Amino acid sequence: MRLSLQPGRSWTRTLPGLCLLVLAPTLMGQEAADFFRQNCTSCHTIGGGRLTGPDLKGVAQRADRDWFVRFLVNPQAVVDRGDPYAQKIVQEARGVVMPTISGMTPARAEALLDLIDAESKLDKSQFMGVQITDRPFTAAEIQAGRQIFRGEHALKNKGPACISCHTARDLGGLSGGQLGPDLTRAFERLEGRKTLAAWLSAPATPTMAPIFKKHPLDSEEILPLIAYLENQAAGGGEDMSSGKLTFLLIGLGGAGLMLVLFDLAWRTRFRSVRKQLVLSSTGRGEE
Amino acid sequence: MNVRSQISMVFHLDKCIGCHTCSIACKNIWTDRKGAEYMWWNNVETKPGTGFPTAWEDQEKYNGGWVVEDGELKLRSTSKAKTVFNIFHHPNMPTMDDYYEPWTYDYQHLFNAPEGPDQPTAVPISMVTGELINIKSGPNWDDDLGGSPIYAENDPNLDGLTDQQRQQLFAVERLVLFYFPRICNHCLNPSCVASCPSGALYKRGEDGIVLLDQNRCRAWRACVAACPYKKTFFNWSTGKSEKCILCYPRLETGQAPACFHSCVGRIRYLGVLLYDASRIEEVAKSPVEDLVEAQRSLILDPNDPDVIAAARANGIHDSVIESAQRSPVYKFVKEWKIALPPHIEFRTLPMLFYVPPMAPVMAGKENGAVKNVSEDLFHDIEEARVPMRFLANLLGGGNEGKVRYALRKQKAVRWYRRALTVGDVTDAQAAEMLAQADCTPEEAEAIYRLTSLCTFDDRFVIPPMHREEAIEMMEDPLEHKQNTGFGFLTGPRRGL
Repeated sequence: MRLSLQPGRSWTRTLPGLCLLVLAPTLMGQEAADFFRQNCTSCHTIGGGRLTGPDLKGVAQRADRDWFVRFLVNPQAVVDRGDPYAQKIVQEARGVVMPTISGMTPARAEALLDLIDAESKLDKSQFMGVQITDRPFTAAEIQAGRQIFRGEHALKNKGPACISCHTARDLGGLSGGQLGPDLTRAFERLEGRKTLAAWLSAPATPTMAPIFKKHPLDSEEILPLIAYLENQAAGGGEDMSSGKLTFLLIGLGGAGLMLVLFDLAWRTRFRSVRKQLVLSSTGRGEE
Repeated sequence: MNVRSQISMVFHLDKCIGCHTCSIACKNIWTDRKGAEYMWWNNVETKPGTGFPTAWEDQEKYNGGWVVEDGELKLRSTSKAKTVFNIFHHPNMPTMDDYYEPWTYDYQHLFNAPEGPDQPTAVPISMVTGELINIKSGPNWDDDLGGSPIYAENDPNLDGLTDQQRQQLFAVERLVLFYFPRICNHCLNPSCVASCPSGALYKRGEDGIVLLDQNRCRAWRACVAACPYKKTFFNWSTGKSEKCILCYPRLETGQAPACFHSCVGRIRYLGVLLYDASRIEEVAKSPVEDLVEAQRSLILDPNDPDVIAAARANGIHDSVIESAQRSPVYKFVKEWKIALPPHIEFRTLPMLFYVPPMAPVMAGKENGAVKNVSEDLFHDIEEARVPMRFLANLLGGGNEGKVRYALRKQKAVRWYRRALTVGDVTDAQAAEMLAQADCTPEEAEAIYRLTSLCTFDDRFVIPPMHREEAIEMMEDPLEHKQNTGFGFLTGPRRGL
């Protein structure tokens, strides 16, 4: 069944339905749990309260099963159709529409709904979400988070450091990567520690997911990172506008310096002979 | 002894009239193409003058050729390490302004111009930008001393001349000039070949012609910087460098190269020399003043049985050896020693030799009246208008003795002929001149005949090229024999 987890590969597409139908009943349970952990927990809990998306405990009672299958396979389509319940969900999530999950098929949606049903009946689901302390963070934790963010401490599971794609205010003039968003105010955007922790434990965006599926953040790295990002957000102010100007100035200065160095390195280079001859022989400023 | 054959050349400067026919012949055949507009594989310069590109002889500026450092021959312009360091910028590259911006004329304007008060003219148009151009220089801009205060007075060969000599050279009524036609020298130690990072340049084994493989050239232009004679050119359209190919397709079919064939003054000679390739490095390292003699010592006597045996052992065809024995170049360079290599101090060992020009002073000006300076037609060569130092800088590697020897012998031949045909010189005087010039009457007669009465076949002794043998190692020359028609060079896509 591992093959059905990688729908991008062509050979899985040649026998998809058959595979699922024959093998589904025996392996579906564990596979669905893995899928849920990797794709859903960044926004949902089961009995752990609301994150970006709603708590899924007892979700089966909120709408009929067919509707859920349709919604899971393509959430945007259902919202666009003007479905009232879907609109309500979006409203509650302050406009965030659930992304279309890669590899989501009707069969898998059914399996997930079964899993959610089963987990909802438990007192303590394995998907309660990350429980995180409310106490104020210490300076040491913030510092540890900064080191992880900057890549000064390599990630335990060999994931790339945050700085390679993201920046934050206290990185200063040269700043971090520009591929991902500025994380100075990420803590506020995700509304607090719990959501942030859920996000960090399984980043769900198309860019981050493929990387962090293979190299997830260690649970001991998440806390300092939250501490750091909370500290950044607490600093207030807007993102990196002044940093960008500094970056530009450093770039211009650096380019100027390189030109001077090039001129020195090739100071004996060939310069125009004829023009110099004409100028020096005629003793005039022009040819 | 590693005997090889080299097609070599002699240009007799005393016969050159500076008509540029050679340049045009070459242009029409080879460089009348897009991207090659500014190239002149053959050009004719006026001396004193700065030539094309401007002041090419000044290697302090252009950094071409070789120098000896710590007993090793090194390229001035580049090295393996410098090739990497200069990968994005070669610091010794001539600019377009030092060649010239090529132009044409808007001839259509003569027909299409609207009616106006003036005759329409064909205005010059840049062949680079297509815009109107204010022409500032050209390939022979300083022809016949044009612009001499700028160009001729900055000739690098004036180095070492006293102020008085310089003033004499440029004083009105004393002005003197001669012409200096140039093609690729097909050197024995070519710096262009040594500099190429792609290995695109090579010296053809069977005849020593230096060629540039258009498939291998990767546009580094290291050859352009390294050639001290600036005879490789970069084609901006094809992105490849090009150079004189000594019209090898003509040579292979027994014809003289176009510039040789078209020469009005018949100044050009071509023939095979046999040389000892094992001594090239040793010779190229010689002290400057010995270079001319050292290069001569490389050239072997084609009648020496040992040389013939070694040449045969090296795969040189008997017909080539026979051709070398009749070579006019061998006579000029080795037997008579009156042809000299240009700027041998660049240490590329050029295989094009020049017979230095006589410049007799016939008359001068004194108190506003023309005064005969010399009673006899051929006075002492030391009083020639072109200072010996100048010719030595150009053709002797700074060694005045070599130039003096060549000029003295030419003068002796004139006296000898004068005694025979005019009679205003006695036989005894002529004999004395010949003795002073290290010349026998037979030699004088031979020089006279090859200089003045030479036929086409005397001037161009082209060896059979045996291309079929030369290409045997790469392809089968009989591949298409007994095939229908001509066959295909590259097979057709369709069918079998």
